Amino acid sequence: MTTTTRSLARARKGVGPGGASGPAGTARKQSTLSRQTGRTFAFLILPSVLLLLLINGYPLIYAGIQALHNGNLLDTGAFVGLDNFSSVLSSEPFWKAARFTLVFTLVGVFGSWLIGLALALVLRTKIPANGLFKVLLLLPWVVPIVVSSTAWNWLTATPTSPVPALFNALGLGTPLFLADPTLAAITVCLFKVWISFPFMMMMISSALASVDNTVYEASSMDGASKWQQFTQITLPLISRSTYISWILMTIFCVNDFPTIYLLTGGGPVDATTSLVVLAYRMVFQNFQTGPGVAIAFLMTMTLVIVSVVLYRQIRKSSTE
Amino acid sequence: MTIKSALSTSAFSRRGFLGVAAAAASVPLLAACGGGSASQGAGGTIKFWDMPWGPPAYSDLAKKLTESYVPTGSLGKASYQTIQWNNFYQTFSSAIASKTGPALSTGGGFQAFQFAEQGQIAYADNVISKLKQNGQYNDFLPGTIESQNTDKGYVAVPWSQGPRVVWYRKSLLDRAGVAVPTDWKSWLEAGKALKGIGVSAFGIGAGAGNVFGNQNLLSMMINNGGGLFNEDGRPDVVTDRNIEAMEFVREMVSLGLIDPGAVSYTLDNLSSQWKDKKIGMGWYAPGLPESTGDTSGDLQVASPLAGPHGDKGTVNYIGSIMMYKNTPSQEGSEAFLLWYLGQLKEFWKQDVVGLLPVQQSIVDLPEFQKNKQNVQIIKEWQSVGKPFGTKSPRLFGSLAAVDGGQALSQFAQTMLGARADAKTALTDLQKGIESVTK
Repeated sequence: MTTTTRSLARARKGVGPGGASGPAGTARKQSTLSRQTGRTFAFLILPSVLLLLLINGYPLIYAGIQALHNGNLLDTGAFVGLDNFSSVLSSEPFWKAARFTLVFTLVGVFGSWLIGLALALVLRTKIPANGLFKVLLLLPWVVPIVVSSTAWNWLTATPTSPVPALFNALGLGTPLFLADPTLAAITVCLFKVWISFPFMMMMISSALASVDNTVYEASSMDGASKWQQFTQITLPLISRSTYISWILMTIFCVNDFPTIYLLTGGGPVDATTSLVVLAYRMVFQNFQTGPGVAIAFLMTMTLVIVSVVLYRQIRKSSTE
Repeated sequence: MTIKSALSTSAFSRRGFLGVAAAAASVPLLAACGGGSASQGAGGTIKFWDMPWGPPAYSDLAKKLTESYVPTGSLGKASYQTIQWNNFYQTFSSAIASKTGPALSTGGGFQAFQFAEQGQIAYADNVISKLKQNGQYNDFLPGTIESQNTDKGYVAVPWSQGPRVVWYRKSLLDRAGVAVPTDWKSWLEAGKALKGIGVSAFGIGAGAGNVFGNQNLLSMMINNGGGLFNEDGRPDVVTDRNIEAMEFVREMVSLGLIDPGAVSYTLDNLSSQWKDKKIGMGWYAPGLPESTGDTSGDLQVASPLAGPHGDKGTVNYIGSIMMYKNTPSQEGSEAFLLWYLGQLKEFWKQDVVGLLPVQQSIVDLPEFQKNKQNVQIIKEWQSVGKPFGTKSPRLFGSLAAVDGGQALSQFAQTMLGARADAKTALTDLQKGIESVTK
């Protein structure tokens, strides 16, 4: 055994250069020290734990209580057990909202990912004014949602708005993008993709930046086509970032209230009502706190499950 | 000096640090346990929360008036705060729950009834008695004070009103070659002529946050002698009169007299349509010319239209000032309210409010009489105006969930999008209202 390996082994065992001062004494000292250190750490993190409990735990517990009662914002009301959950799960508006949330999330996540990926790959090439394009492409993400939703409303709402007018000029009729339920759902999803792709672009760009160019050079020498490079090198190497961005965007989409509420208010005829909009309406418009909070709980549970599944994918991709 | 050495030489010990951290952590806890204004003495400040009922000049004047209040004896002064409409119910609820809410406030149309049912309102019976004693009671226009009465007493005192009325753009009716409609039949005929010049005959919108869709359709029902409730105060939507009114709306939709995009029009979209001369006629609140910025006189108020059976009517929202139990002094709240009611005329004198007064003395002011449209609304529409819960003998808290709720907005979108026949849409509305009023 060389000197280096010996010292490393000693270090791992916690034995200093001077040698052991006797196994029993050392263990006792170490045990006392670790108890003291543990106590100190416990004291140090106590304020943070208390704050976390106050900030997160209290509202969560209170919301849980509300979900089991039939009260309002001022009065908890009578205990109804799981009635709120069963009434919500058996109601048609809930499942309609769940369906739209699913579509909205799938389109939002994968639509923005595809566009973000394409733009990140384009911006990786040497094009003139690359930096300027990056800034411009970030605008939809940066601009406040109130401004962008107003802009989209102005573009699409009335028959004389620019986009319907353009369709009309092209002989395609005058589609009412926010008045027709199907078109409204499509418009809201497109709006979500539009405001979200810059985030995806940034995530993927940073992942691509860490991929060594020599990998591509080597594969080129081995005769790999561009498509093969993309599917066999690029995608696997950015998979970790991809899964993280999917988790984040799934959470963003499911919890997205302003995008929908500012553009359509959940209408027409509930065509764009997502679960979070439905929960808001239940609590703050219908003043039915219990069912509204129950919806929020169901959403949280679903998000946790989806996040765990995707997180496992991340771990899997890290070990491969 | 390294960081480590700096820390080691500092007088800031570990125990001291933990103490500070624990104190910092306990701040929110202590704040949450605070007593709020209820713990103040009788001479504590009376907090008055108000909604932005007009341009910024309204809030400025209201603040100035409130702060100029000089209480008598040991009663407290008053402070003013504007509360934005966005999430106002949460704002009030959380403040009341934490006992940091106001002593008095204006608010949503049924807010006083809601909070009264939750035991948070101080009834205004004493104030009403004093108004009767000093003769001011008779100054209130018919139906206004009574609208605030419940079985337990007056939940609030009215200060303003906003009946929904029919407006028309004179230049467009002239261009279409039609007279101002006087009943539904002539409205339909005028509508066809307006359509001929590419103009909507019934301006309405039911998009995000736009409640005019709900209110206008309800106005049509009331105009035909209908409404949402029966004499027992229960939801009663699927009636012959309501069906007839909604079939009329359906006919207007199918004839293209209502803009097909109306189903998604926000308030801004609707306002723009009025401004851009795309709408010839329609229901709106008082102050349409000011809302659209067109004060040329082209936008005028029509006389109440007669329905097929000769009924006239509309929905009228009464704005009120309510008092809360959480006050430093109930006597102080009442004194301020009585004083403030006497100052209301200033809003109309200075023309900074978008609503109409409920006191005859204000209607008689020369400044108010200058606005011919508002004078006409008081003269012709106020008397046919009905409360939102019409036919029900009393208003009640869950009307807030009906007025701004999902059922009515979905109903409006269904009607304007022609997605169901009148009876089916009304049946769904009945179910929706039952679910939030049970």
